[in-house]
Amino acid sequence: MRSEQISWNEGSGWISRSGDVGLANLVFYFGTRQALASGARYRELRSKYPGARLLGCSTGGQIRNDDVTDDDIAGLALRFDRTGLRLATATVAGPLGSRACGETIGRTLAQTNDDELSAIFVLSDGLSVNGSELVAGITAVVGNGVALTGGMAGDGALFQETLVGGDGPPRTHQVAAVGFYGNAVRIAHGSAGGWDEFGPRRRITRAQGNVLYELDGKPALDLYKRYLGDEADGLPGTALLFPLRICDPEYPDNEVVRTVLAVDHDARSMTFAGDMPEGWVAQLMRGNLDRIAIGAADAARQAAADIGGRDGVAILVSCIGRRLLMGQRVTEEVEAAGAELGRGMPRLGFYSYGEIAPHRAMGECQLHNQTMTVTVISETDL
Amino acid sequence: MDKLFAQQLTRATRADGEIDLAVLEELVVAAYAQAERDRRLIDRSTALMAEELEQLNRGLERVVEERTAALRDREARLAGQNMLIDTAINNMPQGLVMFDADARVVICNKRYLEMSGLRQDQVQPGQPLIELLRYRTAIGTFSGDPEQYIRQLLAAVARGETRTVEFELAGDRTIAVTNRPRPDGGWVATHEDISERRRAEKKIAHMAHHDALTDLPNRLLLRERLADTIAGIGKRKRAAVFCIDLDNFKTVNDTLGHQFGDGLLKYVADRLRACVGPGVTVARVGGDEFSLILPDLVHDADCADLAQRVCEAVRTPIELAGHPILIDSSIGIALAPDHGVEPDELLKNADLALYRAKADGRGSYRFFEPSMDARLKARRALESELRQALIEGQFVLHYQPILNVENNAITCCEALVRWQHPERGLIPPADFIPVAEEIGLIVALGEWVLRKACADAASWPSQIKVAVNLSPIQMGSANLVPTVIGALAAAGLPACRLELEITESVMIQNTEATLAALHQLRHLGVKISMDDFGTGYSALSYLRLFAFDKLKIDRCFINDLSNDASRAIVRAVTDMARSLGMITTAEGVETAEQFDHVRLLCCDEVQGYYISRPQPLAMVHGVIAAYAPLRAKSA
Repeated sequence: MRSEQISWNEGSGWISRSGDVGLANLVFYFGTRQALASGARYRELRSKYPGARLLGCSTGGQIRNDDVTDDDIAGLALRFDRTGLRLATATVAGPLGSRACGETIGRTLAQTNDDELSAIFVLSDGLSVNGSELVAGITAVVGNGVALTGGMAGDGALFQETLVGGDGPPRTHQVAAVGFYGNAVRIAHGSAGGWDEFGPRRRITRAQGNVLYELDGKPALDLYKRYLGDEADGLPGTALLFPLRICDPEYPDNEVVRTVLAVDHDARSMTFAGDMPEGWVAQLMRGNLDRIAIGAADAARQAAADIGGRDGVAILVSCIGRRLLMGQRVTEEVEAAGAELGRGMPRLGFYSYGEIAPHRAMGECQLHNQTMTVTVISETDL
Repeated sequence: MDKLFAQQLTRATRADGEIDLAVLEELVVAAYAQAERDRRLIDRSTALMAEELEQLNRGLERVVEERTAALRDREARLAGQNMLIDTAINNMPQGLVMFDADARVVICNKRYLEMSGLRQDQVQPGQPLIELLRYRTAIGTFSGDPEQYIRQLLAAVARGETRTVEFELAGDRTIAVTNRPRPDGGWVATHEDISERRRAEKKIAHMAHHDALTDLPNRLLLRERLADTIAGIGKRKRAAVFCIDLDNFKTVNDTLGHQFGDGLLKYVADRLRACVGPGVTVARVGGDEFSLILPDLVHDADCADLAQRVCEAVRTPIELAGHPILIDSSIGIALAPDHGVEPDELLKNADLALYRAKADGRGSYRFFEPSMDARLKARRALESELRQALIEGQFVLHYQPILNVENNAITCCEALVRWQHPERGLIPPADFIPVAEEIGLIVALGEWVLRKACADAASWPSQIKVAVNLSPIQMGSANLVPTVIGALAAAGLPACRLELEITESVMIQNTEATLAALHQLRHLGVKISMDDFGTGYSALSYLRLFAFDKLKIDRCFINDLSNDASRAIVRAVTDMARSLGMITTAEGVETAEQFDHVRLLCCDEVQGYYISRPQPLAMVHGVIAAYAPLRAKSA
């Protein structure tokens, strides 16, 4: 497998930053909504890599090796020699169609006469999709044996529109995924948060899908406003400073972290990136800069332990909430991850509205929030 | 911050290597602003969290207080319940002691201490059962082998069985101990003093086997003893059964009252007990019937001796409530195995022998003989035939006319019952009336006679009455008066044409009821005659009690009219009757001589073969007609 890091900016257009991939067959690209919205960047890439699968989305910031940037579009072209690839896209009208959309993606990728499907990397609209349901839809078709990673597109701290493109101009309400086939490809992954729980444990007393109404019988939005104080003006973005750790009280180890995507001041409700099951236990979390960076390193370490092939590249998907919390110091988590993976490994990524990776403890694929998830892709020799 | 500042410097450094201070300032200010914002946020969240946790803490404290109060409340309730349970346990009528799986005391109540005779300190919790039983054995409140008792008890508890054991203790005490297993391997032992119940049961058992009046064994126990005795007899050893009946006891009972009769029976029971040996069973098996079982009989003579002694003992005169009493007994004896090896057979044979003894004259004893059985069978056949005869209408009435001496006319015909036996021909009443009386058939037969006689008389000339004999048993029947009314009504016969003849014995028995019935009949218009006058004992006294319409002078006086004394008696009777307003009938007049005599002795009426033999109904009219011309002639 060969790789080439590319980037685009206003001044210089597309340039190659390192490596030479020759005839690429898969290209990832991440940029701001504003940079991708016209479709021009997609067309440029299409003409540059005519035979490649092009998969990209809008973000809350791009990761390129140790840097975090908002101005450039960051890309990574890959040349697989012994691995089959297939791209699937689907349109989703809203959160209620998430599972069906996931099933469509899963069916498209599973229906092939080629080699066996071994992994999927998925990019999803970040605001119109219930990520938990999407993941459930895909795994319901392909099973838990297929490694599923990816993330949900972002829109900076604006939460207005997110774009996803799969072999086409990036659009809203879009889900795109690439399937990897055969036994040569190696996918390693890791996921970690580094947030600290604080305050009392609360009970989700009223919720519907990914919309949370009440905690301990009181409006959830009131609790957030109280904790945020002046920062409440920045909702829903500032709510990312206090993610919720939730777990089924019967299986307390099966915990996930949820972040807010939207708020409804009239209904005093909050929409999260994934399901908020009634009866589950919820606890506020807050970040400590040092431990957030340690979390990123932890995720990278998990992935690095499993790298099976050579010339691997890493796709880093980190939560927008982490970036909002860390501010200028956000590069510390990227550097920490890079240190674990090795400086020589090309790293590409973005700040997302949700991360998708298998659960560290439970093994089944889930939607995560407020985590850094690391996917290392490599290919074995003959 | 070193790292961040280095980064900020890098960012603020332009391509030419110059540092853009404005950019650097912007980055540094932003970093400070963010740090300040973080600090505020952390402060705020820390304070809120503390507040929330404090609230939670207060909530928890409240919960703890509430639960503590609830616990105290429950404790108090438990204490109250314990007191109730304690009260309940200590007020149980049963002794209660609970053991654990190691057979050690858990708890006991006061009643247990009372019943076991143990002290509280001997029944402390943890005390082994074996110790308790040893104490109790020593003081006599436990009977049995303690080790064996515990072994059997533990086995039952292990099987989950409830086991009840009764202990007979000194002082006629019976304690029932019920051991009920508990789920934890222990058990609850309840001790109940069932002495009273056992005594009552024994008493009931005694009552079931003994006669209440004399406390002698009853028929049930007699049979059991007899069965035992028979089982024990061998080649040399025999046994005897006596059936003893008091002669004329019924008369004593009827004339002097039941209380007096009971006194007599007790007296006889005492005498029987006194005159028999120790191994002899004396039983009362019926009203005035007693029985003896004489086991170990060697010589028949011993048997006869005992029978003699019994007769004499009973016969000894006594005085009861101021009345001197002389009573006789008759005895029937059956021997085992000679006369049977079954209790019922022996009793039946002794009874047959008794029957014979009574028939042969009272105050004697008879051994059973097989011929008695044959006679009994003949008697049973007769009884059966009699019953059948009534159903099949084998009885007929013959009528014997009675002549009025003065006008030489037939005034009355006496109905006399005959049995037209299909094989044996006509059977006279003496051969079947006593049997009919004994088996109670006389009431039904008497009613038939009454109805038939009334119906027959209705066809006779209106001046002719019909006379019907009443047996003492009929007189004693409460149905007599309604039966008479019914017979008259059915026949359409005026009451004044019916004469009822009763014997002196009727007057001796049931005096008050008899008198009442007689008065009722008299009130209806029915005539009442005294039959066989002169043969009874207290002949004259009852003439005061009831004014009979007619006295029928017994044939024994008429037979003997050639004798002066007899003539004097008849004369006296006719005089007395006339003075009392009664008419007299001479019975059994068979010759012209007798007829002349009675006419001279002023008898009003004559009955006998001289006038006419008893005639079938069809012939009665002829006899009446034959006398009518005589009356016309004399008129």
